[in-house]
Amino acid sequence: MADTDELQEAVIKGDAKAAAAATQAALAAGVTPLSIVTEHLVPAMDEVGRRFECQDYFVPEMLLSARAMKASMEIVRPLLAASGAEPIGRVVIGTVQGDLHDIGKNLVASMLEGGGFEVIDLGVNVEPRRFIEAASSRNAGLVALSALLTVTMPAMKTTIDAFAAAGLREKVKIMVGGAPVTEQYANTIGADGYSESAAGAVALARRLAAA
Amino acid sequence: MRLKLISCEVLFREMCDVCAHAPHPVDVEFLPKGLHDVGSRPMAARIQEAVDRTPRGVYDAILLGYGLCGNGLDGLTARHTRLVAPRAHDCIALLLGSRQRYQAFFEANPGTYYRSTGWLERGKDVQQLSHDAIGVDQSLAELTRKYGEDNGRYLYDALTRYCANYSQLVFIETGLEPDAKFLDEAAAEAAEKGWRFDRLPGDLEWLRRMVEGVWAESEFVIAMPGQRLVASYDTAVYEVKP
Repeated sequence: MADTDELQEAVIKGDAKAAAAATQAALAAGVTPLSIVTEHLVPAMDEVGRRFECQDYFVPEMLLSARAMKASMEIVRPLLAASGAEPIGRVVIGTVQGDLHDIGKNLVASMLEGGGFEVIDLGVNVEPRRFIEAASSRNAGLVALSALLTVTMPAMKTTIDAFAAAGLREKVKIMVGGAPVTEQYANTIGADGYSESAAGAVALARRLAAA
Repeated sequence: MRLKLISCEVLFREMCDVCAHAPHPVDVEFLPKGLHDVGSRPMAARIQEAVDRTPRGVYDAILLGYGLCGNGLDGLTARHTRLVAPRAHDCIALLLGSRQRYQAFFEANPGTYYRSTGWLERGKDVQQLSHDAIGVDQSLAELTRKYGEDNGRYLYDALTRYCANYSQLVFIETGLEPDAKFLDEAAAEAAEKGWRFDRLPGDLEWLRRMVEGVWAESEFVIAMPGQRLVASYDTAVYEVKP
């Protein structure tokens, strides 16, 4: 459908205004809110992720696409809620204690939101206790931890251990990421998943939510 | 004893000083500071190339003038000559003289940006790499020119928000500064970003022990020929694997 192709295009190009207009047009043409997300926003962000991986896109382009996707989501979200559609899952996300880097974390948060997740972003320098409180009070099934420094990576383990100590480790799936983080490290500290990229983080979150 | 030092140029003045005072010859090769920004795998590959170029049978050890640097040293392999690296997460620890001192300062002072002579005078030309790929350090004018008024402004906000997470900039003073130029430049940067400014005395003894060949297990990791350095993400920073 021409209108929704325009939506995908607007998201890929990072044009928030065009994305909002195309969303309104698609809704007016009878496209359901849910299929706007699943058939148009998600594939558009997948394409953005693909371009990022082949270094066609860089962080600024990703941020702009995420912004355009959010413009569409803002229109669609109330409609989804009114129709009783539940988000795919709820994710508590934050940069671990001691670490103040947030560009990558913000990108992942945006991508997850576009991927149909409800995202609770705790910001940077987040103590384990705050991850636990947010996950329990908001009944989130997923927790996403970010770190950019090898010196703060151990705080990921501390956080995972704190979930275990609180008796909540079985209630949440914990995913980790950030430039120095590796799959092997994720396994070593008992995380449930690792992604190398923001786009991959969405796919991972979907797998974990479905598990 | 004869040593080869492969070092990041960010430590140029400090390494020149400790090598000048070394009790034996140290041949030095500096690599660009820009490796910090190219990602850990390309960085490790470039350092490995420098290791592999080192002639066989000439040196007692190859010293690595680096911290783990975001995994930039992870996986480096010793060929015919052993590799010696300080057990440091990054060069800030090397400038402060110990991992413990850095860790304590880091924990007591979250939100600190660090500067030193090398961070101020080296590698500005290659910052272009992170500049384009991540978009940081670009002016509002540059961003609006590239992405249009609305998107440019949005990116500027998104990419400068990190400044609010930091509260101070610290200049590490090693005593090698020729005049107040570096201190002034660091203070000006802090003022521009709206951060508090402070200075912290550096300590080059750790680097000195490295070039002197005093390699305590607690401070240095040694990979013998055929072994590789592997990041351990704990207080030891590295382990050695076959």
